[in-house]
Amino acid sequence: MSAPPLLQVDRLTIGFRSYGQQPRILHDVSLEVGVGERVALIGQSGSGKTVTMRAIIGTLPMPPGIVEGGAIRYDGRSLLELSRADRNRLKGTGISIILQDPMLSFNPVLTVGRQMDDIVRYADIRLGRRRRAADRRQHIVQTLEKVQLAEGGRILGSYPFQLSGGMRQRVLIGMALLNAPRLLIADEPGTALDVTTQDEILALLNRLVAEEGLSLLLINHNLGVVRETADRVYVMEKGRIVESGTRDAIFSHPTHPYTRKLMAAVPPLYGAGVTTVRNTRAGDMPAIAIEGVSKDFLTRGGWLNWVTGRFPAVRDVSLQIAPGDIFGIAGESGSGKTTLAKMILGLIQPSAGDIRVEDRAVSVFAGTEEFRKLIQIVYQNPGSSLNPRRTVGDQLAVPLKFTGHAGARIPGQVRALLEMVDLPADYASMYPHELSGGQKQRVAIARALSVRPRILVLDEPTSALDVLVQSTVIELLHRLREEFDLTYVFISHDLSLMRNFCNRVAVMLRGEVVEQGPVAQIFDTPRHPYTRALLSAIPVISEAEAAQKPKITN
Amino acid sequence: MLPYLLRRAASLMLVLFGLAILIFVIARIVPGDPARIALGPLATDQQVVELRAEMGLDDPFLVQLWTYLSGLAQGDLGKSLLTSRPVIDDIMAALPATFELVLFTIVIQIALSIPLGVLAAVYRNTWIDNVTRVMSLIGVVTPAFVLAIILQLLAAYYFGFFPVTGRIDPGIAFEADRTGLLIVDGMLAGRWDVVGDAIRHLILPAVALAAGGIGQVMRITRAAMIEVASRDFIEASRAYGVPERVVTFRYMLRVAAVAPLTILGLEFASLIGNAFIVEFVFSWPGIASYGVRTILQKDLNAVIGVVLISGVFFVVANLVIDILLGILDPRHRLRAKGSE
Repeated sequence: MSAPPLLQVDRLTIGFRSYGQQPRILHDVSLEVGVGERVALIGQSGSGKTVTMRAIIGTLPMPPGIVEGGAIRYDGRSLLELSRADRNRLKGTGISIILQDPMLSFNPVLTVGRQMDDIVRYADIRLGRRRRAADRRQHIVQTLEKVQLAEGGRILGSYPFQLSGGMRQRVLIGMALLNAPRLLIADEPGTALDVTTQDEILALLNRLVAEEGLSLLLINHNLGVVRETADRVYVMEKGRIVESGTRDAIFSHPTHPYTRKLMAAVPPLYGAGVTTVRNTRAGDMPAIAIEGVSKDFLTRGGWLNWVTGRFPAVRDVSLQIAPGDIFGIAGESGSGKTTLAKMILGLIQPSAGDIRVEDRAVSVFAGTEEFRKLIQIVYQNPGSSLNPRRTVGDQLAVPLKFTGHAGARIPGQVRALLEMVDLPADYASMYPHELSGGQKQRVAIARALSVRPRILVLDEPTSALDVLVQSTVIELLHRLREEFDLTYVFISHDLSLMRNFCNRVAVMLRGEVVEQGPVAQIFDTPRHPYTRALLSAIPVISEAEAAQKPKITN
Repeated sequence: MLPYLLRRAASLMLVLFGLAILIFVIARIVPGDPARIALGPLATDQQVVELRAEMGLDDPFLVQLWTYLSGLAQGDLGKSLLTSRPVIDDIMAALPATFELVLFTIVIQIALSIPLGVLAAVYRNTWIDNVTRVMSLIGVVTPAFVLAIILQLLAAYYFGFFPVTGRIDPGIAFEADRTGLLIVDGMLAGRWDVVGDAIRHLILPAVALAAGGIGQVMRITRAAMIEVASRDFIEASRAYGVPERVVTFRYMLRVAAVAPLTILGLEFASLIGNAFIVEFVFSWPGIASYGVRTILQKDLNAVIGVVLISGVFFVVANLVIDILLGILDPRHRLRAKGSE
């Protein structure tokens, strides 16, 4: 690197003032992004990635944030010493961002066109440019073409909620590019999307960097994504950069223990590291038998809210889940996997077909106490499935009370439940916000297990968690299955995780099961083109694995 | 937008219909014989019986209800026993005064509460925030009639600028014959002296009436603004270089305004209730003064009419709020609803 870097963060130290204390969030963070270079900053949530990003863009609230030392230089200018007006002039025009969630990054009540025009118009005003509304519009439509959105006119007149997830992400990238920035900071791009869409978005980012001469700073915790979109990598732990180097060096020879731990926690898709789970318990009677189940949702509209159409969410699905199975239901959003799970739990009724749990029809069985004691669910986001105003102990006691446990014995049982999920017994008196994401999910698992069910439906139980935490929760689930002879129905879009966690999988596409079988078979010799497409879109962390993914020929 | 509006309007008509039946039933249940009260203690039993027959009070209940509803459909609310005139005429005579007062109150409420809420949110945890919050708390906890009397006393003893009672100075000769609203008619006629005097008379009762709502709406605006400020899209707008002023008013307030507007619509019910007392204190010749008199006289037709008119007020106000919400938040009118 002979040319001076475009962005240079030099020994940046940032503290946060709160209630008289001033804990440090960043310690001597240094990183550089060269012209045209793609740099990734990786680490768990809470490691300081976002604070670093905000400090660079200038949206870190100060106070409470305080720069205790160091400098940020962009194109030779020291950002922290610039006047407010000069600093604002760089926003969007020098440095721009793409935030994590494309839905939350748009103002929900303004049209996309309005929001994009504001960005162009106010940049024009600051830079002393004059353009007519029609010219601005043309510029916006051209920018949308760059992100492969042809119907610019229609998109500009739409509200964000009227666009699909992939489109929103593209528009968001377009928004960041409107004022021709030189440095693009992307916070977990595509993580909120399905793998196939994510794959397209990453390809788009890579192309833009190459074609527009952009520099990219990628904030991410998905190592697979980083491997596909970065030239150099910085690893951050607890506000410190612990390791940095070229992508190949970091991925082939990680030296710092934290980096190694991160790499090891990523479930491998292929190769020697893969664990294949087996079910040794299989009996004659299936735990869950699903026979030709369909579910139609009605769409309503018009003046009197009459039914205007029906939308088939699940179509003619038949599955047999044996006792002791960890049965994975894979699919992207809208594939019907959650609807299927709700029907298994008896929460909604199928439009056609029959579901039997332990050879009893759910349609009659559901709603009985016996059924609730037999089958339970763990939700995706423990942050919202736990009641924020009640203590952990209270929440664990609720299912016990409702299934006729003696009041006096409940505290002891709560303690036992916490121990079962490896949490100290005194956590019973804590509130959910005092726990970390992984601990909250453990509480949710304990709550589901409190009535000693034999079947557990797991709805993406780890998708809200960091990879390190994910691996510990997965370990816990394995152990509990052994201990209590549990059967799991595991709903997820994360195929690499399923490869290592499940023994059988079914792949769903638009309400139908397109392929099902033992994991090894599905992953090693996928037959359906959709399964192949899904597998090939998964970002993996080594060349060897990438080579083993099914190739898409079109 | 049109189907959305028609749907809202249809459901509100249903609410009014329900209210009409409910109030009629209640009026028939309350004890006491309206004919006896109307005729006074000196009337003979024969006279009472005749009046009962004339009023239809001896008919079966469902027949009475039907007579009442079919009259209502033609805008006929029956005759007032108190004034011996059709109730609808009495109401139409008193309505403009109340309408003007309530409208003026709402204008004050919106003009003060939302900007103050925004101010408090933008300068959160500074003295500006603290002062507005304490003021709003005082506004919320002071009952309207207490404030009305305090304001009246202050005006009577310490500053003569604001008149203590009435709608307009009796010395001003003016007939509000177009809309019935003094301010509007005064403007139309070019009589600025009338407009000025009407506003002077309006200020005290309107402030007394508005205070509670201002405090409440201000606090809700503040909370909603603070909540919206922490959303991702606000950070995104700032990072893309949209100026702070535009971020605050176009990006934050438009999203945040939904909560205070909804509250304003609900607040309207207590506004009408409080108007009864405030009008009484300020001798305001409005529907409330009429309502109080008719209730005390057990003038059933008139009471039903007043309650119905209050209901119409409330329903129309909420329709307006619904329309505003539909304009502010496209999701209210555009999102297709799915169901099982």
